[in-house]
Amino acid sequence: MKMPIKMFDHHIHMTSRTTDDYQAMADAGIVAIIEPAFWVGQPRTHVGAFEDYFLSLVGWERFRSKQFGIHHFCTIGLNPKEANNPDVNDGVMELLPIYLEKESCVGVGEIGFDDQTAVETKIFEAQMQLAIDFDLPVLIHTPHRDKKAGTERTIDLVKASGIEPGRVLIDHNNEETLAATLDSGCWAGHSIYPNTKMDEGRMAALVQQFGTERITINSAADWGVSDPLKVPKTVDAMREAGISEADIETVVWHNPIAFFGQSGRLDLGPDGERPRVDQTELWEGNSVLRGQEAKIEAAVEDAAGPAE
Amino acid sequence: MTECFAEILWARVNAADGPAKTWLERVWPGGIEGAGASPTSVQFRAAFAGCARRFRDLTLQADDIRSLRDAGVLDGANWQLDNVARTALLLRALSLLPSGEQAEIVRQVYLRGDYREQAAVLQSLSFLPQPERFLELAIEACRTNVLDVFEAIACENAYPAAMFPEAAFNQMVLKAIFMAVLVGRIAGLGQRATPELKRMVIAFASERQAAGRTVPDDVDLIVNLDAA
Repeated sequence: MKMPIKMFDHHIHMTSRTTDDYQAMADAGIVAIIEPAFWVGQPRTHVGAFEDYFLSLVGWERFRSKQFGIHHFCTIGLNPKEANNPDVNDGVMELLPIYLEKESCVGVGEIGFDDQTAVETKIFEAQMQLAIDFDLPVLIHTPHRDKKAGTERTIDLVKASGIEPGRVLIDHNNEETLAATLDSGCWAGHSIYPNTKMDEGRMAALVQQFGTERITINSAADWGVSDPLKVPKTVDAMREAGISEADIETVVWHNPIAFFGQSGRLDLGPDGERPRVDQTELWEGNSVLRGQEAKIEAAVEDAAGPAE
Repeated sequence: MTECFAEILWARVNAADGPAKTWLERVWPGGIEGAGASPTSVQFRAAFAGCARRFRDLTLQADDIRSLRDAGVLDGANWQLDNVARTALLLRALSLLPSGEQAEIVRQVYLRGDYREQAAVLQSLSFLPQPERFLELAIEACRTNVLDVFEAIACENAYPAAMFPEAAFNQMVLKAIFMAVLVGRIAGLGQRATPELKRMVIAFASERQAAGRTVPDDVDLIVNLDAA
């Protein structure tokens, strides 16, 4: 069946995912993704490890994604957990201006609170200022622990920063935080997760209750138990709940484009079509394609829909 | 001839007279009148990164492409203003540094670039002073997995044929065949087609045949080259 809706997963950590994931995402209708810089599970012990990570986000991972017909963008920032590490925090902050200039960087993020420490606050504020200086939208992570209070503190810090709230997306919302996030004028992201955060059915209910304005969803898939197909699965759940195709498309395509398009750097081609898949860009030995026949799509139009 | 890169860049931003000009005036290494970004600063590296989007809306004119060709750019028609700008920025930065510090700046910009930046560095190598200093970097670049970066050094670039030792040149040609990059795009291939290269290419063809796989047409092209 042809799936008419194009999808944009605006928060997914592909560095931790396989080529099977990329193929399944493309087949399910995902056309574009954003990979926010974040914590990689294992704590980093020196600044150079961050630099190589940022380089993979603007380099190798972007190339890998394109080979499956998916546009890849990133956001760059110092995550709140590692903002607490004195071995790296100042050094990473010094490097950020280089990576915020990169062509495929469409925002500052993900930044915010984890333990809600004084150092996290200082670095969060400094990165809000970078967003203003670089004229970039911001993707904000909200904490797992003490979430409601952490989200309220986040909103206060956003207001105090002087940034226009419409250029801020507060992510990982739930039933307890969504109303406050929307009231602040910020955008509200929802990470659909197998066990925690938010699930497909609850998300459909939230869209029915709150509508689609400034609401987005993502998989936030990473190195833990998570699912890179949560956006298409939530599309199915929204259909089952009777939400219109137009509203679904607003949530999973038009809204993330409207938000991150504020960077002026979100280049999806004239109609938001897929990048042309040419796996002759892959070769045996070192590449992600080992011995399979290369898939060359004759034209962009052929790549626009998922595999039959 | 290398002045043409800065001349083209400034001609385009002055003609547009918009935000790109304001930005370039602010980041131009050494400044327009004294001050400005130090070539060893974070600001210089950020400026190098920013070229692609800061100059996205400006296009090269036919005269610019002719000037690039005259300066020795083999595929001037495929260059965009950000390629010109990045070459101009590197030339300017090197001119402000003692000769002993120049090669390291080029290396750092290459290593810390996204793949369009890396491609721009590789395309500029022949135009930088004492280009033989960048041999190691150019050979390292051939180990990339990213097609755009590999093409930037291997294709329409005079550097490898002029500088690479035989082993590195042969590896580059073989890798081009593996990557389905047409070897006809390798500048100076005819002069570098040695018996050793032909032996490697024939061995590759034999391996392919033994595996029941197709042999690219480029194998014959190399075997039949009669230079060397």
